[in-house]
Order: sequence, then C-alpha cells, then structure tokens
Amino acid sequence: MSLPCLLLAEFRDPETLLDAARRVREAGFKGLDAHTPFPVEGLAEALGFRPTRIRPAMLVGGLLSGAFAYWLQWYSAVLDYPINSGGRPLHSWPVFLVPTFEATVLGATLTGIVAFLISTGLPRLHHPAFAARGFERASQDRFFLSVADPHVDAARLAALLDGLGPLSLREVRGE
Amino acid sequence: MSGSALREPPLPPGASYGELIGVVADPVLERGTGRPWRIAFAVTLLMTLGLGICIAWLFIQGVGIWGINTPVVWGFAIANFVWWLGIGHAGTLISALLLITRQHWRASINRFAEAMTLFAAVIAGLFPILHLGRPYRFYWLVPYPNTMEVWPQWRSALVWDFAAISTYIIFSLLFWYWGLIPDLATMRDRARSRAARYAYGVLSMGWRGSARHWHRHDALYRAMAALAVPLVVSVHSVVGMDFAASLMPGWQETIFPPYFVIGAMFSGFAMVVTLAILLRRGLGLEKVITPRHFDAMAKIVLAGSVAMAISYTTEWFTGWYGGERAELTHLGHLFTGAYAPIYYGMLACNVLIPQVFWLRAARRNLVTLFLVTILINIGMWLERILIIWNTLSHGHLPSMWHLFYPTFWDWATLLCSIGLFTFLFLVFVRIFPAVAMHDLNKRLYQEKEERA
Amino acid sequence: MSAGSVLSRRQAALGLLAAAISGGLSGCGEPEEEILPYVEQPERLVPGAGLRFATTLALEGYGRGVICASAEGRPIKIEGNPGHPASLGATDVFAEAEILGLYDPDRSRTIRQAGRPVTWQEFLAALLPRLEALEARGGEGLRLLTGPITSPTLLRLIAAARGRFPGLVWHAHAPIGEANARRGAELAFGRPVSMLSRLDRAAVVLALDADPLGPGPDQIRNGHAFAERRLARAGRTEFMRLYAVEPATTLTGANADHRLRVPPAMLRDVALALAAALGAPVPRPELAAKQARFVEAAAEDLRAHHGAALVLAGESLAPELHALVHWINERLAAPVEAIAPVFPAGAEGPMPLAALVEDMRAGRVDTLFILGGANPAYDAPADIDFLNACKQVRFAVHHGLHRDETAALCDWHLPAPHALEEWGDLRATDGTASLVQPLIRPLYATRATAELLGLLQGRLDLSAHAAVRETWAEGRTPEEFEVWWRRTLHEGIVEGSAAPRFDPPEPRLPQVPPAPAADGLVLVLRPDASVWDGRFANNAWLQECPRPLTRQVWGNAALIAPEEAEARGLNQGDVVRLEVGGRSLEVAVMPEPGIAPGVVALSLGYGRRRVGAIGEGVGVNAYVLRTTDTPWTVPGVALTPLGRRAPPVLAQEEQRLEGEARELLPVIPLEEVLRAAGDASRSEPPPTFYPEFAYETYAWAMVIDTTLCIGCNACVIACQSENNIPVVGPEEVEWGRDMHWLRIDTYRQEIDGEPHPGFQPVPCMHCEKAPCEPVCPVAASVHDQEGLNVQVYNRCIGTRFCQSNCPYKVRRFNFFGYADGQEYKNLGEPVVAAHFNPEVTVRARGVMEKCTYCVQRISAARREAKKENRPIAEGEVVTACQSACPTSAILFGDLNKADSLPSRLRQEPHHYKLLGHLGTQPRTTYLKRVRNPNPALEGDAA
Repeated sequence: MSLPCLLLAEFRDPETLLDAARRVREAGFKGLDAHTPFPVEGLAEALGFRPTRIRPAMLVGGLLSGAFAYWLQWYSAVLDYPINSGGRPLHSWPVFLVPTFEATVLGATLTGIVAFLISTGLPRLHHPAFAARGFERASQDRFFLSVADPHVDAARLAALLDGLGPLSLREVRGE
Repeated sequence: MSGSALREPPLPPGASYGELIGVVADPVLERGTGRPWRIAFAVTLLMTLGLGICIAWLFIQGVGIWGINTPVVWGFAIANFVWWLGIGHAGTLISALLLITRQHWRASINRFAEAMTLFAAVIAGLFPILHLGRPYRFYWLVPYPNTMEVWPQWRSALVWDFAAISTYIIFSLLFWYWGLIPDLATMRDRARSRAARYAYGVLSMGWRGSARHWHRHDALYRAMAALAVPLVVSVHSVVGMDFAASLMPGWQETIFPPYFVIGAMFSGFAMVVTLAILLRRGLGLEKVITPRHFDAMAKIVLAGSVAMAISYTTEWFTGWYGGERAELTHLGHLFTGAYAPIYYGMLACNVLIPQVFWLRAARRNLVTLFLVTILINIGMWLERILIIWNTLSHGHLPSMWHLFYPTFWDWATLLCSIGLFTFLFLVFVRIFPAVAMHDLNKRLYQEKEERA
Repeated sequence: MSAGSVLSRRQAALGLLAAAISGGLSGCGEPEEEILPYVEQPERLVPGAGLRFATTLALEGYGRGVICASAEGRPIKIEGNPGHPASLGATDVFAEAEILGLYDPDRSRTIRQAGRPVTWQEFLAALLPRLEALEARGGEGLRLLTGPITSPTLLRLIAAARGRFPGLVWHAHAPIGEANARRGAELAFGRPVSMLSRLDRAAVVLALDADPLGPGPDQIRNGHAFAERRLARAGRTEFMRLYAVEPATTLTGANADHRLRVPPAMLRDVALALAAALGAPVPRPELAAKQARFVEAAAEDLRAHHGAALVLAGESLAPELHALVHWINERLAAPVEAIAPVFPAGAEGPMPLAALVEDMRAGRVDTLFILGGANPAYDAPADIDFLNACKQVRFAVHHGLHRDETAALCDWHLPAPHALEEWGDLRATDGTASLVQPLIRPLYATRATAELLGLLQGRLDLSAHAAVRETWAEGRTPEEFEVWWRRTLHEGIVEGSAAPRFDPPEPRLPQVPPAPAADGLVLVLRPDASVWDGRFANNAWLQECPRPLTRQVWGNAALIAPEEAEARGLNQGDVVRLEVGGRSLEVAVMPEPGIAPGVVALSLGYGRRRVGAIGEGVGVNAYVLRTTDTPWTVPGVALTPLGRRAPPVLAQEEQRLEGEARELLPVIPLEEVLRAAGDASRSEPPPTFYPEFAYETYAWAMVIDTTLCIGCNACVIACQSENNIPVVGPEEVEWGRDMHWLRIDTYRQEIDGEPHPGFQPVPCMHCEKAPCEPVCPVAASVHDQEGLNVQVYNRCIGTRFCQSNCPYKVRRFNFFGYADGQEYKNLGEPVVAAHFNPEVTVRARGVMEKCTYCVQRISAARREAKKENRPIAEGEVVTACQSACPTSAILFGDLNKADSLPSRLRQEPHHYKLLGHLGTQPRTTYLKRVRNPNPALEGDAA
C-alpha cells in the first residue's frame, strides 16, 4: 500500500486519539489508520474496521486437520495395515481421539498464524510511516493517527483536528 | 482465581507509559551484564557442555549406563521428562488462563513464564528420545509414508505423547513469539546500536503498532489463549495416561490424568515464583513485580498443594478399597518399602510445607517463598521418580522384585539438564524484554481510566 | 541390522577357526572319517537346522546319550537321545552347556613344555626314549592318573599298556565319585555290586540325604521315572509319596512331600530307627518327638507298600549306613536292580590318588601321565599335598581341555579334544555302551586320550577312531561289523550292552559305628548344580544359570539355617571365616530355610585359580576344608564373622509367598485333584469389551506342570543355547539385567511350619490380550495369526514400555550390546560366535527380546508340513525347553486340536492361569503343584 502521501497526527494519550479518529471518520476521510504502543479499546470501531475473519478461519483449519488426523489413524490401523495388537479392536476410536484433538489445536493455531500474516501484510520491514520523525515513539508512549487520502492535505486535517491539540502533524511522502 | 487479592492497583499510580517501558527495556539495552550474571552464565554454560558429554557417552555406551534394570526399565529419564514438562505448563496456563479470566496482573509475569515454559518443554521433549534403546530411530513415531510400509501404533500412549508434546512445543513457541512481536518493535525503536536495531527490526517483522495490526493481533492472541487451556490440560493428561493406561499396580488409576495436570500446574507455578524472585532482583523489576503478585501466586501454589493432598489420599483410598492383592502390596511398599523415607520426604515437600502459605506474611516474604518453591520442585521430582520406582520395582510377581539404584550418569544428566535450562533463561533475559511492555502499558491505561 | 552384524561375525569366526587349526587340518567341518546322520526321527523329535548326529557325553565317566544338531559343520545344540537309557530324550544342564564348552576361547590350543609352545615331534622325541628305558625297567615308576573311566576302549588300551609295562600303575581320582556307595555295597554283599534304584516302580520313597533328582549322571533317568510316578491327573489314583531326610536342601528334598531336616550325625540315628522299625535287630536310638513321629510314619508307609517301597542312601552317608539301607531295601523287596559295577573295581580297577601321592613323595614315580582332565592340584583333598609331591616327578604330562592348576605343575601339557571333537565310547550307569562320534574336526592341535595310550604301546599311528573300531570289531566278522558300526552310530547306543541284572546275595546287617561326637558347626560339602566339581567353571552359561533354590549366580555361598543366622547375628552377605584343622576359607553367608541348624552347606567347584577368563576367581574353593576321611561332612568347624560384606548375586531376591500371594503357585494336596476330578469348572476370564480374534490355522499354547518341575534348570540352558541368549556377567545380573528368556521362579510357602519350595518355569505367556502390544508405539510387539506374541527386533526402538506393562516381566532388554559388541569378558571372541543358532537373530543393543515359543522350530515344522502338504501334526513342534525337560513338565501344542496335550491339560481340575484375573488370557498356563502328604504327618506338629 505505497501511497502518494501519508498524513500523521501525533497525540499524547489514547483518549484524544479516539476523538480524532471519530472526527476524521465522520469527515469521510479514506485510508484511515492509527499507530499505538498498545491496543486501544474501541479504536478499531472508531476507525470503522470490519471485524476480522481470523477466528472463523482458525475453526475451519482446526476441524480440517482434526478430521485428517482421525482419517489417517483409521486408514492406517483398519485399512492399510491391520494388525492384532493386544486383541484390541482395529478401529479403537476412543484412543484415536487423542491425536485427533492435538491435531485440531495445532491446525487451528497454524491457520490463525497464516491468516494473521495475510490479513496484516506482515512481515513488511519497510513502510513510509517509518520515515516520519519521532515515529519510533509510536511503539512507546505516542499515539499516531494516519490518513492516506489523495483528496486530503495537511491543512484540511489540521482544521478538522482543531481543538484536539495534536503534538505534531506531519506529511510523509510515499515513494 | 485470586484477583480479589489485587484490589489495590499493582502498578505504581504515578507511572507513565515511557517510564514502565524504560524499567523493562533498559536492563537489556542500557545496563551491562552484572558480575553475578556472568558467573552464572559461565557455570551454566559448563553444565550445558556437561549435558553434551552425558549424551555423547549415552550414545557410545547405550542406556545401560543408567541404573535401569529388567523390572525397573524406566528411570530418571522418564521422571525428568514428566518433571520438566510439568514445569513447562505454568507459563502457558498463567498467560492463557489469566488472560481469559481477565487477571490483568498477569502482565508482569506472563512473558518470562512463557519463556520458562518453552525452555522446560524443549528439555522435557529431549528425555523420551534419549531414553530410547535406539534413539536414532525416534522418528518412527511420526506417521509418514515409509519403505517399511508400517505406521505408528496409535493405541500407544507414547504416540499420544509424541503428538501432544510436539503440538505443545510448537504452540508455546508461537504463543510466546506472537506476544513478543510488539515489544520487539519497541526494542527496535529504543535500540541505539545499528545491529540491535536491525536484529529487533527483523524479529518484529516490521510491526508498526497499526490499529489494524492490533485488531488482528488481539483476535489471534485471545483465540490462541482459548486453545491453550484445553491443550495444556490434554498434554499432561496424556502424560498421566502413559502410566494409567497400563496393568501395573499403582499406575492403573483413573485419577492419574487430572492428578498429573494439577501436579504440573503446582510445580510450574512454584518454578515461576522462584524465577520471578530472581528476575525481580536481577533486573530491578520491583516496580512491576510487586508483593501483591507473589501473594496471588502463593495462593495458587497453596491451592495446588491442597489438590495434591487430595489426589494422594484418593490414590491410597482406591488402592485400599479395591482390595486387589497387588494394589495392597504396592500400598504397603509405599509406606514401608525401601523407598518409604523418600516417599515421606515427598509428602512433606508437596503437602506439608506449602501450608505455610495460609499465612499472609509467608506469602509476601520472598525468602520463605523462594525456599518453599524450591522444596516443592524437589518434592515434585521425587513424586515422579517414586511413581516409577514404587510400581516397577514391586510389580505383580514377587520373583521379579528388584530395586533401582541410580548411577553417576543418572544424576549428571538430571543436573546438567537444569544447567541447560538456567543457561537458556540467562540468555533470554539479556536479549528479550522479560516483561510484556505493551501489556503493562495497556494495564496502566486501564488503571488510569478506572481512576478517572 | 543385528542380522547383518552376526553374519559378518560368523564369517570372522570361521576364518579364525581355520587360522587356529594346525597339523594339516584346514577349515572347520565334519571329520574325514565317515560319521552318520541320525536318519529316522523318533516320534516327537523336532527337525532342527542342518544335520543331527547321535553321540555321547560323559559326566563322572558315565555316558549320557545325546543328539547333537550341527549347522554348516558347527555343533550348535544338544538334545536328548530317546533311545539312550540315561537320556530318554531329555538332557541336563551340563549336556546342554557342552556347546559353549566346545567354543570356549580359553581352551588350550597347543602342546607346551614349561609353558613354551612345542611341536608334537619334540614331545615324541622326549617321550619315546623314556618309554624304552621304562620298558627295560618293566615299567617301574610309570603311572597313569585319570578321572573315572567307563570307556571300553580306554580300559582295553590301559590293559594293553600294562601288557607292555607290567609295573604300570593306574590311579583314578574323582572328587565326587561314589566311593561310599561302593564300599557300602561290598560291606553288604561281600563283593562289588552297584544297585540301580528303579523310581519308576516305587510308590513310596525315602531319601536319606540322597539326591536322585539332583545333578549327576543319573538325574535324567531318575527324573523321568519320578515324573512317571507323580503324574497328577483327574481320575489317576497312583501317586508316589516322597520322604526326604537331609541336612541341606537337595532337589529331592525340595520335591518331597515330607522333609525332615537333621544334622548329618542324626542321619545315622534315623537310619537305625528306621531299620529297627522294620524289624532289624539293632539298638533303637533316642529320637526327638518330631523325628520319631516322622520315622514312625515313614516306616509304616514303607511297610504298607512292600515291593514298591524304596529307601535311598546318599553318597555322603558312611558305608555302614549304605549297607544298612541295602538290608532295609531287601526287607522291603524294594525295586532295585543289582549289576556288576560299570566302573571297574577290584584288581583290574585303579588305585586311589592317595597312593599315587605317597609314591610321588617317596620319589617312586618318574613318569606320570595325567589324562582326561583329572585336576588333583585343584580338587584333591586338603590333606593330600599333590602340589609338593608333583615336584618329585621327573616327567609329568598333563592332558586336558584347559591349562589348569595341574597343568601349571606339570612340565608337559597336551591340549585335549572336546567331547564333540573326537571318537570314543562310554557306558551309562546301567552299563549300556554307546559310541562318541565327533561332529567337527578338532579346532586345535589336540590328541585324544586313546592316542596317548596308543603311544604307551608304541603305536604312534593309533587314532581314536581306529582304537574304538578295534574295540568293537572283536568277535565280529568285517562285514557284519560294518553294518553293526553304521547302525550303532545311527542309534547312538550299542544294542544289548546293558549290564546283566542278577540276584545279589542276602545283604549282611552291618555294625554301625557310633556317630563321631564333635562340637562347633558341621560343614556339609556338595557338588555344585552348575560347575559340578569345578570342571565346568569356565562355562559362562552354567555360571550364570541360577542355582536351584538359592537362585545364586556366579559363585557359591555358605548356606546356614535362618535361625542359626539370627542366633549369630549374621545377615545375608556377611563374610565369615570357616576354620577347621588349621585350614580356613572366607565366604559370604546366606540364610536358607532348608538347612538344619548347626550346619553350614557349601558347594564345591569354585575358587578356580587357573581355568580361564570366565571361571577364575569366581566363588570360594571349598576343597581346602575337605580331607580324605571327611569328604562330605566336616565336623567341628569354627565360624567367625569378619565384619565385611560381599552379598551373593541373586537372580531372584524375594522367595516367600504369604497370604493371597500363594495364588501365584498354589500347592494343593492330592485329594483336591481327585475330588475335583468330576467337575471341570474352569475359571473363566473376566468379561471384556475387546473382540475375540479367530485363529483359524493353529493356536499354540503351553501348559507347565509345576508338580513335575524338579527345578533342574535344563530348560533354562536349552533355551539359552537354542535362542542365542547372551551372557551378561555378574555385575549386570546384580543390576538386575540377566537375559534368560525362561526363568524358574522359586517360591517357598510355609505348610505346617515347614518351608515348601516350589518351582515355576516362567516363559512368555503369549497373552491373547497382551498388555505389551498396545503400548508399543512402533508396533514392534504384535500378535501373529497363530496367537504368538512376537517381537520384531528390527522395528523395536527400545521404549521398554512393553516390559514396564508386562505383569509377568518376562521381557528382556539389551541395555548393552551383550551379544553385539559389548560382550562379557572374552565371549566376544570370534570363535564363540560359532555356537550361534543360524535360525535365530542375534539381538542388537537397545532392542527388547523375549521367549518366542521357539518360533523358528514352528516355522521349520510348517515348512516340512507344507512340503508334504499336510497340517502340522500333534507333537511335531517341540520347544527347546520342552525337549530338554527330563520330567516332561513342559508341554506344547495346538489349542485348535481338541486332543492336543495343552487342550487336554486345560481341562484338568488343577489347571490355572498365572495372574488370570488380569484378563490377559495367557497361552502359557499351569497345573498347580500337587503334594501327596501322609495323613499321619499332617496337621499340628508335623
């Protein structure tokens, strides 16, 4: 998502960031995002993100791998290589459930990880925002609002955020 | 669980976001390694090399270098495995269980507890492989299409073990690492040296705290936490079934799976407390790890010890009530046999001594805490070795009764494995933030809101 | 992987054999002379690998006929010869272990003078002129010293040698022997007679310190007879009753219905009281109430079974008591048969060792031949100073398997061939002669005894083969001789050669001298169940074979009564000094319930100083306390604790069975079997969720009759030999890591205050619901189509989960490469690898192993059956343990056949499953141990 231009508004605390977020959204700006040192509750809603589909994906992934694990056990123990092991039934379903469960958890986890990477575009070692001066504090004690909208310039944003007193308002040239 | 213990906010009221981060990050980035650390590092490095020697000798000579014998075919290796895996449980439990149950004070301890879990689980996973008569064939437990055209034998508890533990290790690694990413970004942004910036930068995968990322991260992390709890329970239940799914007196007990899970939590929490005390001192984390944390953890340990007591008594009762000859003989052997003194010692460490935590003073006195939790871990190791010794040395047929005598290599392998664990931990605290900084700050923000 | 390594090792072995062989022989294989395979298979004999030959093995000079299986020219397994009266198809530990003896790396390989290797020519150059000179002197000063000899050929050659050297004197030395029995018989009958007891015709037997079931040349025959008379089966009424009176537990005592432990001196009184009770005009001695009651009841019982009652006297009894027993047997019309002694007695017989030593000291001996492994330097009585006497002899030749203690004293040493390497002949205890045919060319430059005796006659070219043929060609035309020769080699016995039975004269009632009064303890010396008189000390199989009752391995211990130990504050393993007549030894004590108070029992044959890597320094040499007049019972022994400890190495530490544990080996009176004869109510296995698996083809099973098991260990060694089971050495056994697939659990339970030992052979149970199988993660332990619980060595990764979950603990794990690169001492030498059975994998380090029901024999039988396109017949598969068992206590067969032995025995009322309540549904099951107590001795004070 390389942009022509990226506007970063810096705040001291999450509350102001939330107000700012609401305002820019009501103003109908596009390409909204924020950078914070820790997850701020309500921020996603304020910026109008759609709910993520990671968990449904995990459910599906888990069920699939669990089913595969059970099938593998059944196939190998009953069809492919049936042996009399201590006179136990070939299809010993109660014990087959144990590996099945583990496989489900593992499958769900891995799906979740993959889904996360896809939906966030990580790993991505470079991003225009990094170019902004003082952006390193986004991971410590500053809260940035970022707008990437071709129709919006710094002046417009500043006007909109009037009264919230952003510490700074920068324009980062995307390449 | 014991959130009630935390009516007062555990974090210093006046603290600011940056300050807390400094508290955690500076020991790693700014302060140099102290002399104690360097000594400990050298010693544990040697012990790690020692472990290498133990393993080399094992591969040259065979498992005969241990004290195992025809009736007692299992020995230290299995006990160590169960013990380490038990320790490797608290981390994920604390992190996940407390997260789900909204115990926000977890923020101060979950990171290093997870690291502990990871290291302990990896070491635990080492032992079942070393214990094999032909260790280089361990991969035959993996279901893969092979020229022998045979599959693992799914009815074996060892196959369940293999599945559970490998899953658990992978899971713990990911869980720990995903929680770590935002902090790695913080480290990247605070690091002065170019090399450090690059290293942390790569490790943090270019995390930039985007609200979008936080949103997904939160969803994934909480979902994993929800998965972690049943996983942890399943892993040690399976370990319990290694013994319970058998015909041997003293093993064939339905109580084993829950009993093992409790035991794992118990020893794990004890180990967390031990480490927390050391870390707090070593890294000067007094601000973030407060007596209230210890108070809460001590209560959990106490609860664990009571649960252990109940498990033991249940075991004895069923053995006696069942009235089967072998079971009764085994019971008699527990209390009067050759290993009875060790058994009483085990009961003292696991049941008697932890009762001091009924006293608030004891819960908040670090010396007491330290000593008691060390004793608990010794007690738990004794429990594991006794489960093996008492049953196998005294089975169904008197003609095959034979005791187990440990050898030098038994002891060396156990001690050096502890050395390896400490070594990994020492390295960890010098490279990674030992406390989850973003969780701390989030907690701080919440407290501010609560006050407002 | 293990298979591969074995192959290469075996090739290495053959290579080394070839290298080791000098004297024009090359490679290992059958001898040049024609030897004949055992063609017609007697019923119930297993076709093993390769060829099978009949031959004969000696113990105490007496022959036990055997069939030896050989693979690629290597003898690999000994089995009994059904046609031979001293074998009857079974074996004993010593016979089974001869295989390892053959490949013993410590065997002497070259002729030596003063320890320096020399050639045969050099030896002849030294000897022949000497013989000339001796001949001129009429053989004055020429002496032969041998062990007991029954070989017609050797006796003939000795006689011939005497022809050339009238002054030649032949001495025989047997540390065990049967001197007292002989003198007793002479006392009673006035001339040499040997009495064969016929247990198979006896209904009541009283053993006065006699051990017919114990180790010895007659063990197999007696065991067989014993089993015939003690078959406890529903509906069968006759069942022998066995009494034993003895100071230390023997196998006979262990299997007796009533046992009285008395100090040796008391044996005299008991014998007299018994004679008196049977009407002998002898003073009735004073007996304690318990003993009196015992003797009374026994006498009554014996009298009641006139014609089928038998009293046996042990070798340790004084000749007068032997004579007295002959008198008693005469009175009872006991089933005994008189024959002329097989071992030559009287004028043509040998002189004793004492006479030789006397002459040696006096310098009257100038040339001495010590033949056939006689080893006086080690096993002569302490009062005979052979060592110094030997220095007086100018030309001493030692001829034996090892360079032993005696070889060290002699200037010349000649290596002797092993019994499986040379031609010869032997007589059994009943006189039956049989041929000894070699199965392999001599591995080393050895010379047979016959060849050396040939030298004495100046016949330098006489081979053992020729000598034996000469002996038997007498009185036969060449044609009929050839036919006879072939047939005799086939059969393994010389037809009609048994000594004729005759009616002995009326036995005289002897004057029984008063028992010597002595204070202190009485030391009771016995031959050892594993090393006998010491000759088997270098045999690792025997050293590691748990001794009956004590279950001790790799050594001997001073056995004392528990009450004695308590009184003296001694614990098992405390080292004590036993001192008598200024001579002493230091040995660890071991309390044993069967020992009479005031008695210390110690077995001979240990403490060898020169024999080889395996046997040297193992145990304590009891010969140092033995004198000519006190060979078996040494009175006045002082015991002093030394405060040191050296606990004996035991294969089983716990033997007591109390309370419910008795269900493991129930001992029931005969009535219960007879009473229960009507109902055959089986104990059904507990209900199960598991499906039943069908076994269409065969369902192999084993039933072990613990009543018949006399605890002789033959099956243990047979299993070891058949299945390539390695030896682990004393340290490993002490760790609890012995590898025996078949063990004989020995339990003692108190019945009427008397310890009653019981033996329970425990192989794999081959459970249908095997606990070891579902726990194996790699399916190395699985069930096959015929119900065998099989172990796939190549698949095993050594988790040991199977063993930890086996309630019977019958699995064995290779903690080290016991057979695969980490062998005990010198058993890794290539020559030893030649004993391996090619049909059985040699297991690698890190894998689990266990009893397979001799699956290789099953598949051999299956191949045979397939060839003839028929099912495997009942009794066609015989496991190694089964074939060895002298009492047929182990029975194997197919459960799918209703008439098979196991199927039938499973219907017996006293049939039971070991730990059956666990629902493992074992295929190996047991018959309870049946006693036949005398009602008069039951209850209270008995």
